[in-house]
Amino acid sequence: MKKLVLTTLTFALLVSSIYAQKIKGSDTVLPLTQAEIEAYKKEHKSATLSVTGGGSGVGISALLNGTTDIAQSSRKIKFDEKQKLAEAGKQIKEVVIAYDALSIIVHPDNKVSNLTREQLEGIFTGKITNWKEVGGEDMKIIPYSRETSSGTYEFFKESVLKNKNYMTGILSMPATGGIVQSVSQTKGAIGYVGFAYVNNKVKALHISYDKGKTYIEPSVENAKNKSYPVVRPLYYYYTNINAEGKSFIDFILSPKGQKVISDVGFITLK
Amino acid sequence: MQSKKIKEQIAFTIFRLLGFSVLGILFWILGFITYNGIRVISWKFIFSYPTEGMTAGGIFPAIIGTLYLIIGSILFAFPLGIMSAIYTVEYAKDNWLTKFIRIMTNNLASIPSIVFGLFGMTLFVNILGFGDSILAGSLTLGLLILPVVIRTTEEALKAVPKSYRLGSIALGANKIQTIKRVVLPAAFPNIITGLILSIGRVSGETAPILFTVAAYFLPKLPQGIFDQVMALPYHLYVLATSGTDIEASRPMAYGTALVLIVIVLIMNTLAGIVKKRFEKNK
Amino acid sequence: MKKFTDKLVEGLFKMSGAVTSIMVLLIIVFLFKEGIGLFNASTVEKGYTLFVNSNNPIEKLSPESLKKVFDGEVENWKALGGKDESIRVFRFDEIFSLYSDEELGTDYALLPQKLGEIIQSDATIIAYVPQKYKPKSTDGIKELEHIKISLNDFFLGREWLPTATPAPLFGIVPLVLGTLLVSLIAILIAIPLGVGVAIYLAKIASENVRKFLKPAIELLAGIPSVVYGFFGLVVLAPIVQKAGALSMGETAFTGSLILAIMALPTIISIAEDAMRNTPKAMQDASLALGATKWQTIHKVIIPYASSGIAAAVVLGVGRAIGETMAVLMVTGNAAVIPHSMFESVRTIPATIAAELGEAPAGGTHYQSLFLLGCVLFVITLIISIIAEVISSRKIFKE
Repeated sequence: MKKLVLTTLTFALLVSSIYAQKIKGSDTVLPLTQAEIEAYKKEHKSATLSVTGGGSGVGISALLNGTTDIAQSSRKIKFDEKQKLAEAGKQIKEVVIAYDALSIIVHPDNKVSNLTREQLEGIFTGKITNWKEVGGEDMKIIPYSRETSSGTYEFFKESVLKNKNYMTGILSMPATGGIVQSVSQTKGAIGYVGFAYVNNKVKALHISYDKGKTYIEPSVENAKNKSYPVVRPLYYYYTNINAEGKSFIDFILSPKGQKVISDVGFITLK
Repeated sequence: MQSKKIKEQIAFTIFRLLGFSVLGILFWILGFITYNGIRVISWKFIFSYPTEGMTAGGIFPAIIGTLYLIIGSILFAFPLGIMSAIYTVEYAKDNWLTKFIRIMTNNLASIPSIVFGLFGMTLFVNILGFGDSILAGSLTLGLLILPVVIRTTEEALKAVPKSYRLGSIALGANKIQTIKRVVLPAAFPNIITGLILSIGRVSGETAPILFTVAAYFLPKLPQGIFDQVMALPYHLYVLATSGTDIEASRPMAYGTALVLIVIVLIMNTLAGIVKKRFEKNK
Repeated sequence: MKKFTDKLVEGLFKMSGAVTSIMVLLIIVFLFKEGIGLFNASTVEKGYTLFVNSNNPIEKLSPESLKKVFDGEVENWKALGGKDESIRVFRFDEIFSLYSDEELGTDYALLPQKLGEIIQSDATIIAYVPQKYKPKSTDGIKELEHIKISLNDFFLGREWLPTATPAPLFGIVPLVLGTLLVSLIAILIAIPLGVGVAIYLAKIASENVRKFLKPAIELLAGIPSVVYGFFGLVVLAPIVQKAGALSMGETAFTGSLILAIMALPTIISIAEDAMRNTPKAMQDASLALGATKWQTIHKVIIPYASSGIAAAVVLGVGRAIGETMAVLMVTGNAAVIPHSMFESVRTIPATIAAELGEAPAGGTHYQSLFLLGCVLFVITLIISIIAEVISSRKIFKE
């Protein structure tokens, strides 16, 4: 039995010596990578890339135990993640592939259209629980969040909550699409999603980072001129990749790849 | 007397209603999925790749991936499960060891599928270093169906009359020859039933493959057993919960759900037919 | 030679016979080995430590207090038994806004020293820093004592915040209660329906109806859980939301409805078997005494089959508790102790499925998920043992 297993294993190893480049991580970047692979494949017929979601944390920890080649991330690699990779003797390389304007969405019937960072902090840490406290109707606020593995979760916590913890018992969706879906169905809901996810079934709020002096709408333009406060880079991280992985990253950074980025709804590098 | 009869009538009507309400639930679910799914089903849907950010195209790689996982898990679970059943039925005496094995098999069957996922991820993906791969996923799924295989094989073996064995041994065959030439062929149809049922099970499980094999998107079919694959149940999960435009990928989700259900339906019907034929022959 | 191969084949059979047992043992060993490590870990995230000024009388802080301090809920040392001073929270990353990379030296060689200076200079500070860069000299500063995560923290903790910094909270009470709530309501819905259908199938339905209903129920069992989840998400959640005029559709009740449907086939088939096994003599005797068919079912068959029905119910609960995908998709996954069934809950399997991928292997979060796996394993084990005991009691009676 054991022998059989061993021979099959070695055989399989030989067969799969030209293995696919694996990309793993952020769900925000997922649709982007997927679309890029689609476009890339049109030019390179023999492309063997694969992409899996799970969250930015998943991608980076997969990079650490060698189960992925490229980690896609919607947040910057953390200090201790970098340390761990360094301890494992891996030199990490970082590429910014696009930008994303993190949008705060509510149900389209909600009268509130402007919120300050402080109000958002209050809502997501559980201090503000009713829409009338922020100028809306008398309705319970139902905040939707992402799972803890999400880079969006971490970025939002850092940028908006100023590193405070989310309220306990926040509704958490395993994927961003679920948040959009739920917010569009739930009157008192509020959630945060990548800019590409915003559609006409939800309303994106104007956000103020200067205590209510100016409220900025999330848009491609406002993100590019940096007036929208919650803009973040989207990253690819890798330690070593083969020629195909390299050519794929080059493709994303090329004008063709950047066009895909704006098609999907993210913000291009330039 | 009269009131007793009336009571009986009432009670029976309620039970009849209950019985048919289950049917109602089944038709509701199947009808809903079929009604919405049938519109996207086409040869193109079955045989092409997802395009336009998973809102158009087909589910070919997911179908192939599920096929690989079925084959992989069966290659692992079947020889092992059948041999295990042969041991407990044909060899083992009714002692503590067989009892222990039976209890363990029962336990293995009652373990939630997510726990298999946990185990598969540690042992196959991390410790043995297979990574997220067909191999790791197949082994995990194989473990999951092992109890099904063992149980159906055991039942099949037990259903073979003692006289067959005695006859064979009287003709001078030894035990292994008897098992190979007499017992197994007689039990074969029932074993096949188990095989078909486990195919149905493998094609629908999501939790065990989440961390062992499933990929969100592949532009190409897997090249070897160390590649990831897309799989139908995971693809449905992804279509239902992620993607930038869930509404746009809904039709794809309905189509995937329909394909999944049809596979299960076919497997169940096949198993029923095989079983019936076997019972007739008996 | 032939003898030898025979022996070999026999040995092979024997080995495979033991394989399931080995697998179960392996699963137990792996789950517990990974999980048990949690109780050896410190409450503060691995690789990090906490410092205060040496004038601060505080020696150690519980994970709950740490969370409150770092969330700004507790702002004065007095609340924690210290002096009447407001707390200054210092997170490691702040150092990079105070000093440039050049000032910190190559490979951050000067970082520990700078950290030490900061902590020394502020009597009200609490600093959260990596072990690797902790100040070398302890002049004027004090490291908070490390506490190990205790059984109480895990089994009686009321908050599940596995990625909270600096001290993650691993209280499984909300998860356990969530799981039980969803499963129990599911079973309460499924029992009348399931047992009713079983009675109908076993004693009332004609052979033709049976031929039709049985495969339908088997089919219900065959539908993949992710399809149930999808159906629940698209169809049931909006219905529940509208029907109950609820603020949201992702509730424990939605999950229970789906689980009830999923548990039905198990309950029906086992309960039906139990009723079919009622000795014919008993039924005939009842009918001969002038009882109607319903009275016979009600007074003879159901009591006789009660242990079998009980076993069916228990197994149904087992099936519901372990279900992952369907529940993950419809219950909203809020890790909070539920007060009613119309609130969102987070179950144990859903937690594992949603969080396992992210948790770096070997970390406390990873370990806590394995421990959850152990808890789940033990619960289902107990349930299958109970079911076995109940159904074997019947044989004893015969």
